[in-house]
Amino acid sequence: MSKVIDDNVQKIDVVVLGAGPAGVAAATIASEHGADVAIIDENISGGGQIYRAPPKEYETHDSFKSPESYEGDRQRNYLSNSKVKTYFNYRVWSISQELVVSTISANGLKSWRPKALILANGALERIIPFPGWTLPGVMGLAACTILLKSQFVLPGRSTVVAGCGPLLMSVAYAIVKAGGNVSAIVDLSSKSEWVRVFPKMLSRPDLLLQGMKWLWKLKNEGIKIYNGYTVTKSEKDNDRLAITIAPFNHSGVNTDPKFQKLVEGECLAIGHGLIPSTEITRLLKAKHKYDLLKGGWVPVIDDEFRTSIPNVFIAGDASGISGAFSAVHKGRIAGLSALRDLNMISLKESKHKINNERNLLNKTENFGQAAAYLMRSRPELIKTITAETIVCRCEDVFRAEIDETIVSGAVDMNQLKAWTRCGMGPCQGRTCADSIEAILTSVVGSRELAGQWTGRAPLRPIPIEQIIGDYSYSDIPIPESAPL
Amino acid sequence: MAGNNVTRNSYVTVTIDGCEIQAPAGEILAVTLFVNGYRTLKYSPRIKEPRGFFCLMGSCQECVVLVDETITPACQKLVQEGIIVKTIKI
Amino acid sequence: MGIYDIAVIGGGVMGCSTALHISRKKLKTVIIDSGALCREASGTNAGTLTLNMTRAALIPYAIKGWELWNSTEQWLYGDVGTISVNGLSLAFTEREEELLIKRAEARKAMGAPIEIVSSKKAQQLEPGLRQSVRSAAWCPKDGFTSAYLTGHAFRKVLNNEGVQIQEYFKVNKIDNENKYFLICNENGEFIKSKRIVLAGGVWLEYMLSLLNIFIPIKCLINQLIITERVEPVMKTVLSIANGLLSLKQFANGTVLIGGGWQGIGDTERGGVEAIPKNLVGNIRLACHTIPKLRFGRMARVWLGLEAETSDALPIIGNVPGFDDAYVIGSVHSGYTSGPYMGWLLSQFITGKEPDMPLFDPSRLLTQ
Repeated sequence: MSKVIDDNVQKIDVVVLGAGPAGVAAATIASEHGADVAIIDENISGGGQIYRAPPKEYETHDSFKSPESYEGDRQRNYLSNSKVKTYFNYRVWSISQELVVSTISANGLKSWRPKALILANGALERIIPFPGWTLPGVMGLAACTILLKSQFVLPGRSTVVAGCGPLLMSVAYAIVKAGGNVSAIVDLSSKSEWVRVFPKMLSRPDLLLQGMKWLWKLKNEGIKIYNGYTVTKSEKDNDRLAITIAPFNHSGVNTDPKFQKLVEGECLAIGHGLIPSTEITRLLKAKHKYDLLKGGWVPVIDDEFRTSIPNVFIAGDASGISGAFSAVHKGRIAGLSALRDLNMISLKESKHKINNERNLLNKTENFGQAAAYLMRSRPELIKTITAETIVCRCEDVFRAEIDETIVSGAVDMNQLKAWTRCGMGPCQGRTCADSIEAILTSVVGSRELAGQWTGRAPLRPIPIEQIIGDYSYSDIPIPESAPL
Repeated sequence: MAGNNVTRNSYVTVTIDGCEIQAPAGEILAVTLFVNGYRTLKYSPRIKEPRGFFCLMGSCQECVVLVDETITPACQKLVQEGIIVKTIKI
Repeated sequence: MGIYDIAVIGGGVMGCSTALHISRKKLKTVIIDSGALCREASGTNAGTLTLNMTRAALIPYAIKGWELWNSTEQWLYGDVGTISVNGLSLAFTEREEELLIKRAEARKAMGAPIEIVSSKKAQQLEPGLRQSVRSAAWCPKDGFTSAYLTGHAFRKVLNNEGVQIQEYFKVNKIDNENKYFLICNENGEFIKSKRIVLAGGVWLEYMLSLLNIFIPIKCLINQLIITERVEPVMKTVLSIANGLLSLKQFANGTVLIGGGWQGIGDTERGGVEAIPKNLVGNIRLACHTIPKLRFGRMARVWLGLEAETSDALPIIGNVPGFDDAYVIGSVHSGYTSGPYMGWLLSQFITGKEPDMPLFDPSRLLTQ
């Protein structure tokens, strides 16, 4: 197939980025009210990470079905039955100041100019580095979830599950349910932390019950659960990983050797919470603020999910971590706000419908907030990043180098980046930004002073073959040559 | 390694570092590599540490391999009949 | 706080080089920048040390600059990762061949060691080259630095030699009432100096206007693309006769693609965003030249600001009408000759005859 640059920028009412719960909700509600909508997602189908679909070639048995898989299928069907134009396997690589959305796919380049842009690009997982975190076999909790729930693969003969938040139990349970072995569960949260969030979790008795069922099953299997512990080291031990854990609390990591313990597993699934993905809002130069209980840096929004950039709206975890159920309502509110700003619904109708969604949102938010509390950034965790730990994986930059650079005068994230190369690699800092911000914050005093890395295009590395398409030398539009 | 609540009906043949491997059609390449023992996919730039997949979501870029000579994140690629995959040695 | 002998306003390679050489002549020096040293053009350019791409009239200066960058241990006492390799400027069409010969001759006449070679020889020098290349201009004195290391290196040596570094000081007023200049910022802070050097790059037009001097300086928004690491695919620095490609591979395997394709931006906002069409054009040129690049991925794009005067030649000398104010900048491929031009200005400032002629700014006055 001949790949061409689609020079035409397609005009459209609304573009929604991300087809997870928030994106699908925003796109469908906008479309139902008459807007011409395109939804773009780099995956093969909708559902985001939380409702990621198994390959269509697989035949799933009834025993696989769960409330999650049903909800995922429901959302996917809802989307495909709607008038929303879907663009799966399309990757957004740039958005201009005029909101032209540029994408790349196997078909080449394609751009849209929407009147309203709704961002639903979700969250990233926070993983605070420790010696050995780069070893093959160490993976995120989200990665482990994808393996189990959408690929039906166990991570290994035995897995250590570590970190914090509800994902921890969810992953451990999923491993056990699939017939696998969990060597240990290493939870940052102390028992008293769980007790503290319990009241908020009561707002969703169904989820709470599910969680307790999981906990009971795990205990029944004889799996040791360490509360108030963190992973401080991971080492290769033949074909397994020897993982050192140490007590952790609000004053930090207790590295006294006599309190350390050793657990073993073929793999380690670890995740220290979720962070809203700000790569697009930073690229657009939207205003951000640091909100610990929303997962960290979030775009500044009004109560109808408008960002500081005119005609740019945001929903779902990208606007602040609060889970899949809240995402749907946030998505609808963002969709309604966009419709309002495009004059496609009346002020009265938008106020009324947004109000309804907000009431529903308030009901779901409590549980999400409890989860967000458990998944919050814990500054004391940077103690596990020892001097010899690699922090920026893309560029192999050690903690010692980062510390030295701060001492020699790098006072904000962008300067630190210029001097160390942290964040200059293919992941553009998605993996290490939060950790490095935390390190810098411990010296300069606040996240606001440390700042964030400037957002840049391309949002993801672009395969050169896709961007150049088929061409001949004379096709290349040559601007005027330089003077002699 | 497989869970017991799914049936994989069709398979494709892919070549990984010279070996022909059968993989279920539709599987994520990073997963195929992993279950077949290819845990090290590349080496890090300065200290040459072995690296494999990490986030599986297309964010970290650690799982890049060569698919028909092209640098590709394995977690963003589904296996296809006949693809030639090489782990990155540089 | 006393009165400095020299205040250099603008901490890019021009300003830093001038400040370094001046302070070595025992003048009490301060260098001022609205941000951090070498974070603008000097830190974001492609780092190419090229004679093939330099204006013919500037060749003698670039040769000296090339020598300085290749001996940083002798004057900078630091490392910017200078690599010295062959440079090839390429011709793929007949028209480009004519252009190539003309450009090579003009530069050769000014002392550049450039020789036209055949397609076969070009491919020997650069095996990764597209075989349909017709001919090339070969310059053994070529190479590149890692531009982003420049600021760090200059900061260290300037510190060690007692130059006061005043970063994050955005000058918005320059008073010349007394026997000294009063350099003020928006916070009411000020620095006093007997003499000043304006080295503001694309902000020179603004700086000169603070002294009521009007010289139009165009601000180019140059697009730069870097790929992810790839296996070694090239070993020289490449350009094309039409001047629109600059291509090199760093030791870490990443490939830098430049060539002056424009993006969107201005002196107020800096580089804002790339123009997709220009990204495609630039990368297509790169892939046409080194076919193996097509298997890689584009990892980052950024925009570097570059200053250009109306006759495309620099301004180095007194600010018109001022005995105690100087200006340096707007040099195409100025990164290469920066250290040498800073040296020349330091000679001029201390009353000596510069080793090579300067470029009188008054020629460009519009008022």
